Amino acid sequence: MIRGYAGRVLEVDLAARTFAFRPLDEDTARLYLGGKGYGARLLYDMTPAGIDPLGPANPLIFATGPLNGSVAPQSNRFAVVCKSPLTGAIGNAACGGSFAYGLKRAGVDVLVVRNQSPSPIRLEIDGDRSQVAFIDASDLWGKGTGATQAVLGRKKHHAVIGPAGEHLVLFAGIVSNERIAARTGVGAVMGSKRLKAVTAGGSRRLEMDDERAFKEYTKWAGAMFRRHPVLGERLKRVGTSGIVSTTNPRNILPTRNFKYGHHPDALDVSGEFMADHALTGVKSSCIHCPVMCGRDVEIEGVGRVKGPEYETVALLGTNLDLPDLTRVSEWNHLADELGMDTISLGAVLGFAMELQERGLLDAGVRFGDPSGVSGLISDIAYRRGAGADLADGVRRMSEKYGGRPFAMHVKGLELSAYDPRGSYAQGVEYATSSRGGCHVQGASMYMESTGPLTINPHSLNLKADLPVVMQNLACAINSMVLCIFTTYGIVPRFIHEMNPNSPAHRALTAVFEHSGPLLRLAFGAKLAPLVWFEKWLTYITGERFTSGRLQEIGARIFNLERMYNLREGLTAADDTLPDRMLYEPTFPGMTSGHPLHLLLPRYYELRGWDRSGVPTARTLKRLQVRI
Amino acid sequence: MSITVELTYDMSKALGARSLEVEGAATVADVLRLTRARFGERAAEFERLTRVAALAVNGVLATHRRGLRTPVADGDRVTFVKAAAGG
Repeated sequence: MIRGYAGRVLEVDLAARTFAFRPLDEDTARLYLGGKGYGARLLYDMTPAGIDPLGPANPLIFATGPLNGSVAPQSNRFAVVCKSPLTGAIGNAACGGSFAYGLKRAGVDVLVVRNQSPSPIRLEIDGDRSQVAFIDASDLWGKGTGATQAVLGRKKHHAVIGPAGEHLVLFAGIVSNERIAARTGVGAVMGSKRLKAVTAGGSRRLEMDDERAFKEYTKWAGAMFRRHPVLGERLKRVGTSGIVSTTNPRNILPTRNFKYGHHPDALDVSGEFMADHALTGVKSSCIHCPVMCGRDVEIEGVGRVKGPEYETVALLGTNLDLPDLTRVSEWNHLADELGMDTISLGAVLGFAMELQERGLLDAGVRFGDPSGVSGLISDIAYRRGAGADLADGVRRMSEKYGGRPFAMHVKGLELSAYDPRGSYAQGVEYATSSRGGCHVQGASMYMESTGPLTINPHSLNLKADLPVVMQNLACAINSMVLCIFTTYGIVPRFIHEMNPNSPAHRALTAVFEHSGPLLRLAFGAKLAPLVWFEKWLTYITGERFTSGRLQEIGARIFNLERMYNLREGLTAADDTLPDRMLYEPTFPGMTSGHPLHLLLPRYYELRGWDRSGVPTARTLKRLQVRI
Repeated sequence: MSITVELTYDMSKALGARSLEVEGAATVADVLRLTRARFGERAAEFERLTRVAALAVNGVLATHRRGLRTPVADGDRVTFVKAAAGG
């Protein structure tokens, strides 16, 4: 077995209450690494087209990668893969917390949960004894995610659902500690299996090829991260919600269901405001992470709760015309306890408010008015009243009530908090992402809208090239499995410290913007392991990982996911953006929306897809994607 | 001719206002100069805070247009922008 892997896939059948440990497939591990890549391969092979995502045939796959279980910073994430009940396409979500560590310590690389239990159940995986206990979970059914984990024991490693998952809310997530595998409704799939929680633990130690080199390098990398202006300073000080200070001035902060990209009072939910007014000083992190981007806030009437992240302050704050840190923190806490994705939640609430404004639906909520929101969030989780419709997501709501042009989703997944009209490459990523409107399947917005050196987001230069490279990299990172924040470390301090109004900065930006071929050449190079995740993979597995190899692995995963979606009946017509993004200008001087039609053909060409967006036989052969 | 200038959080704290109006600016450089003037004796603090803040006109970075020579018009919104990360 390749080093870095435990070498075992655990398959559990909830209907038969049986389990089996099977060997991890080494060839698949070499081709797809682990995490969402290995999970996608399993899902493709295990299921035929057209299965009911909430039926017994949909497996729920928890997958770790070769970096999990090491002490490499930001390396304790797991991926969850299944067919998405929200989109009908491939579903996946990544999560921090500590469950990945527990699973790897149990000697399990991948956990596959099949079928459905007739009654609430939980699993306890004892890796040392190679046993799985099927335990009645009737006493936990109905409990929140925090309460459930408290009952199960804070010192163990769990993945749990809340009431939203139990009630099959299509954007329910799976929670580990305070983190959530939020997107695409993986929690609803877990709920459909009546699986309340999985606990994993053991004393297996990760075997590395060159442990000494790994430790020495990790020591250096950890110190570098702690000194880095983003990883060591900004994220520690203001968390992810510090992004408000960038997205608002640049017109990409969702406001009133994405009608606008700017809110005059946005600073009231910024990370800086939070740091000054609400932080308790208690920080939290996923296990073994030095960045500690999580932080607790003290909110009057709510108590000490997890501080909301950027996506949450945007979607539950300005998007509802309610930039109120107290309310957002309260709703964030409520959504976490109920086990829901706050991105989709904010989007369905924003959509419901616009429907209300236009007289198309009366869900009892209005822009700028907090009354009724808490109650509606609970109603969504328990599928009560109007909440039952909102629990099905924006796409289904628009099919029932109208409002398709301002239904903010791609492929059924609600958009993240970066308006693509001010971030063209991000728009291409949204449109082409296998799981739909998501920002962490590439994160080009960092290179064009939120980072220290950004290309012109409104030109066409690099807007097809950048998404390809970034999506490939994100696929690889989500398969190691590493936190995508680790990539921020690539931008050196001197770039952060450059005067952004200086001629030198302008010149560097211009060079970057015209660097398409160079970008592909640099990322495709197979010279030597250079960046930390390449080095960690090399030291741990004993195989040589370069940027070029990771691009290849990422492209393979991306194309496999594409083939899964095509098999499910998706077409190039699904590679689109909401009409509001395509046709409504968002700032003075802008005459239309996102120019997707000008960028997609080039994107398809770079991907090796035909004009219908189908990977060519040559592309699949080159990438060794077996169909 | 009135331009609305939106400040970064740190600049707001220093000046005690989230935004201000400046008159008579024709370019981004003028806006910068007129905003600096509002800081009065705290000009050094203004310099420190603006060293790492880009400028955007109606959401578009000046650096992607004509830099500090980017023209501004009546009713424009000029904002100071801090680079960020995460999400």
